[in-house]
Amino acid sequence: MADSRLEELRRSTLAAFASAGSLEELEKVRVEALGRKGALAQISKEFGRIAADERALLGKLLNSVKQDLESEYESKKRRFEQAELAERLAGEWIDVTLPAPGTRPGSLHPVTQLQNEIEDLFTSLGFAVLYGPEVESEQHNFDALNIPATHPARDMQDTFWLSNGDLLRTHTSPVQVRGMRAFKPPLRMIAPGRVFRNEEVDASHEHTFYQVEGMMVDRDVSVANLIYFMKTLLGGIFGREVTVRLRPGYFPFVEPGFELDIRCLICDGAGCPVCKHSGWVELCPCGLVHPKVLRMSDIDPEEWGGFAFGLGLTRLAMMRYGIDDIRLLQGGDLRFLTQF
Amino acid sequence: MKFSYDWLRDLAPGLAAAPAELEHLITLRTAECEGIERAGSDWVIEIDNKSLTHRPDLWGHYGMAREVAAITGVKLLDPVKPELLPAGESPMRVEIADPARCFRYSALLFENVKAGPSPQWLRTRLENIGANSINSVVDVTNYIMAELPQPMHAFDADKLAGDTIFVRLARAGESLAALNGETYELTETDLVIADASGPIALAGVIGGMASAISEETTRVVLESANFEASGVRFTSSRHRLRTDASVRFEKALDPENTVRGLARAIELLRQVCPGIRLAGGVADTRAPVRSIEPIHLPIRFIVRKLGKEISQAEVTRILSALGFGISETGDAELTVTVPTWRATKDISLKDDLAEEVGRMVGYDSIAPVAPRVASIVPPPNTLRPYLRRLRAQLAAQGFNEVYNYSFTNETDAQRFGLDLGEHIAVRNPIASELTHLRRSLVPGLFRNILTNVRYFPEFRLFEVGNEIHPKGEIMHVAGVLYSAQGNEHDFFEMKRVVECLFPGARLVAAEARTYEHPARTAEIHWRDSAIGRLFELHPAILQIEGLEGRAMVFDVDAIVAQRLAAAAEIRYKPLRKFPTSGFDLSVVCDLRTPVDNICDALRKLAGASLAAIEFVRQYVGPPFGPDQKSVSYRIEVGALDHTMTAEEVTAIRNRVIEGMRALGFELRV
Repeated sequence: MADSRLEELRRSTLAAFASAGSLEELEKVRVEALGRKGALAQISKEFGRIAADERALLGKLLNSVKQDLESEYESKKRRFEQAELAERLAGEWIDVTLPAPGTRPGSLHPVTQLQNEIEDLFTSLGFAVLYGPEVESEQHNFDALNIPATHPARDMQDTFWLSNGDLLRTHTSPVQVRGMRAFKPPLRMIAPGRVFRNEEVDASHEHTFYQVEGMMVDRDVSVANLIYFMKTLLGGIFGREVTVRLRPGYFPFVEPGFELDIRCLICDGAGCPVCKHSGWVELCPCGLVHPKVLRMSDIDPEEWGGFAFGLGLTRLAMMRYGIDDIRLLQGGDLRFLTQF
Repeated sequence: MKFSYDWLRDLAPGLAAAPAELEHLITLRTAECEGIERAGSDWVIEIDNKSLTHRPDLWGHYGMAREVAAITGVKLLDPVKPELLPAGESPMRVEIADPARCFRYSALLFENVKAGPSPQWLRTRLENIGANSINSVVDVTNYIMAELPQPMHAFDADKLAGDTIFVRLARAGESLAALNGETYELTETDLVIADASGPIALAGVIGGMASAISEETTRVVLESANFEASGVRFTSSRHRLRTDASVRFEKALDPENTVRGLARAIELLRQVCPGIRLAGGVADTRAPVRSIEPIHLPIRFIVRKLGKEISQAEVTRILSALGFGISETGDAELTVTVPTWRATKDISLKDDLAEEVGRMVGYDSIAPVAPRVASIVPPPNTLRPYLRRLRAQLAAQGFNEVYNYSFTNETDAQRFGLDLGEHIAVRNPIASELTHLRRSLVPGLFRNILTNVRYFPEFRLFEVGNEIHPKGEIMHVAGVLYSAQGNEHDFFEMKRVVECLFPGARLVAAEARTYEHPARTAEIHWRDSAIGRLFELHPAILQIEGLEGRAMVFDVDAIVAQRLAAAAEIRYKPLRKFPTSGFDLSVVCDLRTPVDNICDALRKLAGASLAAIEFVRQYVGPPFGPDQKSVSYRIEVGALDHTMTAEEVTAIRNRVIEGMRALGFELRV
């Protein structure tokens, strides 16, 4: 008798669970069937009146019914909760394409970016990075670099002369002198910085621009070493193998002195407007350090030798970014600066 | 400098290289060619003057022909026939008063001269290299200048007073009416050529109009002199007059060339002025010849400098072809005599000879070799990584980096109330905005505001650059935050940025400078040192330019900041093992009392038990008076070895309250 009631309870409760339309209705059905005073509890109360051998069988059945109902309740409840959560979250929709508040990062000047790269490259090659002042003595800027007052090379550089008798450095080369005097050889150093020429400004001329001076002083430094080094270095700067050539160039602080050309990176030497159809682009002056320059910095040229070179940072930056007007670099115009 | 291909081939007969090939060879071995173009049946090769600065000999075709002959291995033909020079006394006398400025003065007198038009070959040669044909006599002098190169000058002998030529410094008040139609006022630094009545030429630069060769001229004094380079350069730049002659003399020409020039002139004048006669011999006055030491040149030295094996025979061949005298003085060692045309200043060391050999073997023949260098740790540059970090942080905070000029000017001075007298001045400024050197980065940043307001209502800029003071340069980092709708919140945004750059920095109200907002100016203190300033730019400066907005500025001494940053040592403190307890305190005080003062007092009174103190809020309004404010702090206290009891915490709280009251603060408890 009791067993048929249990089967009936299972059937009717499962049906009621199935038709429950909300969490509340589901809960109501659960209380009616499985609650402390529910139908199942009622049936189990009656067990006392049943013979012991029959009671064991019925107990088993009762447990089975109870488990089935509880499990069905839990799974149905979970479905209701999931649906509810899904509905709530769907209501929290946002337009992810709305702009975000707050300040955006600014930018580093293109020359700074290039200078950082070049400093890193040289540092990796064991070079010191030295900074020198913008205002220099005539001694450092000219005399100590073998450019005496009567030397026509001073014509090549239009100098800003200052009221205190000094000048605005016309090249970063005076930092060579400072480096040689501060640190004895062997010495590897670069000196990036701002230099000045007293000339009219137009799209391709500036009175203020940037250079990197480089120098290596060691026991035996030859032209063959210079070629090797410049090739390695320029390969690093341009991120590809470059072909270089040296031709005679005159700079009073080197002997021999060279102009270094690289095979045009645009046309690979075939000839294009960038290289003026020559296949070569003049890139940097260089040479073996003049013995007089070494001697003036108390380095014995019989014992030590070196090479030096000057890279135009401004020019390299313009080449890298395709900047066609040099004035933009110091124009402070955000429309330009924010591009880097 | 323009070179005629035909002319070079006259002097280096057998030259087989075509013009374009020759241009290429000259560029790689000697000097930079700027271009090549046809000129009738001839070709003209243009060489960059800057690459000839150190080579007086290359300002003439003969010198370039010597290079070409050495490069291509053909013979060089000397156009000068010294045997043409007449012997005997000259009817003229030459007196050099200043032998330091004129090393040699040679002259010849010609008679029965008729200066007419030059023959076509002479005109063509001169025109092809960019010179105008004047008349046959002048053309000959110009031809020799472009050939040997020896500048010469022809005077009409009948227009000269007396038979003595004086080479002397000009006297005060003297002037010269020159061939170009200008009159030059002379000073005692100008070297002149003079006759008995006064200057007839500015030495090495230009001749005088009064003694110029004309159609009436029958007797000519031909000057072939050698002037000291820097003197010519000085005079020529002072008078702003650069001539083909002065450009050459500036390079220190060969004094041996004066009489060679005269010999060449005799030959050419006989061709272009039929009937011309020499009157007497050469007048030749010269300073004592400087002896040039021969150079000892070990072959090993060349090999070491070039990094390429090269034989003694090859070195000898190259140097001989370039005119050097060679004798073998030892095992693998040469003694090299420098030819006069290279000895004036170009070559004196064995390093100079290494260059001669290197360029003639061809630098393209030297194989790259990795340098063998010592393993050394380079001396550190502590500023570099620090500046890089500052820049990166500023960029991350929305700042764009600008590079401004190192100059300042009258406009900046007026705007910012600066005294230009305290700035280093530029003695030769090219523009009115470049007259002085900047002692602050701020005026430049202000100019950047003016550039950008048209396009942007709000922006942040910074610069890392040198302040240039009479006593030296100080690297600064300065930034500006401009906003068209600016208010005091921008000030605190800048304060936040400053605290990001310099963690733990504090602001101390400071007396404003002329360009700073009088009530919004602070000194930035970091690690017990003043490192710079944070302020609102004086609104009047913006208003004068018609700008409504506000600009907040920070300006920090990067050197001091770097030193302080480097000095900081980080030491770990053990984490607390026992919980802390907190309580809030509200202090009522005068509206203008800095909250930092309150915080400092609270911190001090809480003493060693203080774990943290945090600003909660500031309140102004009822029930407090209009000149008052209430400032609240949360104070966390604790002990390192036990959990504080309620009684302990209360005792500390009472101590703080009593202490604050003793300091005159009112507490709301």
